[in-house]
Amino acid sequence: MRGWQLASFALFFGLWELAGRWPLSAAFPPASQTGVALWQMIQDGSLPRAYLITLQPLLIGVALCAVAGITFGVGMGLSRAVEWLSLPVFIILQAAPMAAIIPLLTYMYGIGLTSKVLAVIMLSAPVIVMNSYKGIRNTNPSLLQMCRSFQGSRTQEIVKIVLPHAAALIFTGLRLGLAMGFIGIVIAELLITPTGIGDLITYNSSVADYPKMFAAIGSIVAVAAVSLHLLQRLELRLFPRD
Amino acid sequence: MQLRHIAIALALAVSSSAALAQTKIKYALGDIIGIDDLPLLIAAERAKKRGVEVEITSFKSEEIATQAVINGQADVGQGTPYAAIEKVTVPVRFFVQLWSLQFFPVVANEHYKSWKDLDGQEIAVQGRGTGTEAIMVLMAKTHGIKYKSISYVPGSNVRALALIKGNIRASILDATNKNFLLREAPGKFTVLPLGQVKASDEALFARLEYLQKNQAAVAVFVEELVRVNREINKDPNAVVAERKKLGLLKDLPAKLEGEILPYLRDGAADGIFPNDGGGETAARNDLEFYALSGAVKKENPKVEDYWHLAPLKAALSRLK
Repeated sequence: MRGWQLASFALFFGLWELAGRWPLSAAFPPASQTGVALWQMIQDGSLPRAYLITLQPLLIGVALCAVAGITFGVGMGLSRAVEWLSLPVFIILQAAPMAAIIPLLTYMYGIGLTSKVLAVIMLSAPVIVMNSYKGIRNTNPSLLQMCRSFQGSRTQEIVKIVLPHAAALIFTGLRLGLAMGFIGIVIAELLITPTGIGDLITYNSSVADYPKMFAAIGSIVAVAAVSLHLLQRLELRLFPRD
Repeated sequence: MQLRHIAIALALAVSSSAALAQTKIKYALGDIIGIDDLPLLIAAERAKKRGVEVEITSFKSEEIATQAVINGQADVGQGTPYAAIEKVTVPVRFFVQLWSLQFFPVVANEHYKSWKDLDGQEIAVQGRGTGTEAIMVLMAKTHGIKYKSISYVPGSNVRALALIKGNIRASILDATNKNFLLREAPGKFTVLPLGQVKASDEALFARLEYLQKNQAAVAVFVEELVRVNREINKDPNAVVAERKKLGLLKDLPAKLEGEILPYLRDGAADGIFPNDGGGETAARNDLEFYALSGAVKKENPKVEDYWHLAPLKAALSRLK
């Protein structure tokens, strides 16, 4: 980590500590107390247990989106008919305020795992599908013409030109889809039934254990940020920018 | 000399009534306004006529409403956040009980018939550390059973719908949703017997500093709340009529309108609306019950660490 990055973290946590000690509000703990609470939750096992519960619907949802979403997006990119049928649905899903829609899932799918997986899918699928679709649609036309002039078949055109060309954008879609998945699962755990990290946030808020509440929130932000950063590094390694 | 005293007394009376006339109590309700809030709405209307405006704001949950009180964004909150009061650095105290716990354990007939059938089964309650969980745990102890797991499903209405849809098989509901469930799915659910549980379901709390500085206004509000409770206990029909007269809950669907009277009548019959604002007796019952639920952790908890009874005493002295 570079010096300026360390300085940025130090400034952030320093300001947080000051605001907590001032105090900004009775419900805003200093960074040091939050850190201690985080350590306590790791040690007593409550945080790891919560993540086991939270990650389950998140991974199932993102995995389903990765398979079905990419297939759909590629299909939309390659076929005008599929595009005509599906594009409006995903544009609407992208624009829809999901926090208002997710609680409605309980009426159809109950309060269990299915609803939470669907919440993840509803947030991450549009991003994955749209990125895959755009990746296919933005294929360099010169490359396609070159393939055709060399008598390449449609299959060769897709496998050798279109898909490799779209791969970087598809991977970006997966990364952004995971980010949206994190948002989806936290909303679901706060709005449907409090489980995992959502339960830690809700419960500690209800008993005014604000350091633990902030620690739970901070931990999910950190897990999401680190996961996305690692995926971005993998993306840069797999698809180096020109 | 005497004239001077009279003049001073008059000036004080005028200034205090003027101060009261400007008083606004910012009230944080951790739920949407429903029929169970009718007594509160009536009391608020009456307090307004006496110069104390109660501005009710609905929050997403009791936790957020409690946070608003702790942070000073709201003056008075509604609920039973004993754990929060115990933990938070700002002194917060309860000052009146609105009504005591009235919950109904409900099971799907297809699967269970009695408490014993719930041994090793999954149940759903409102949330971790809530009164609903405490009741179910208490009943498990009483009947010598152990649940497989306890799920947390906030909202009695959500649990009632989940029971109807078969997503959950055993839960605990408030009176309104128990009635809704039994009406929507007649013969499909059984209400399990529950011993007498004496603890607050909804009580009012505020920062101690606020209560001390605004005792006159708070006492007026408390007086009106206790007055409405007494009217409910005397004649629930009168309260229903008062709702119409004051034009409260105008947008209530006809279906829910019909539930007001049974709710008040059943509540009055079960003695959930205290005629005396709960006071020390309610405080002691709460401390015993919420210690069992795990919300109160302090050993030998004292009433004065959780309740501030001065506004209630002032209100009761005027009501006698």
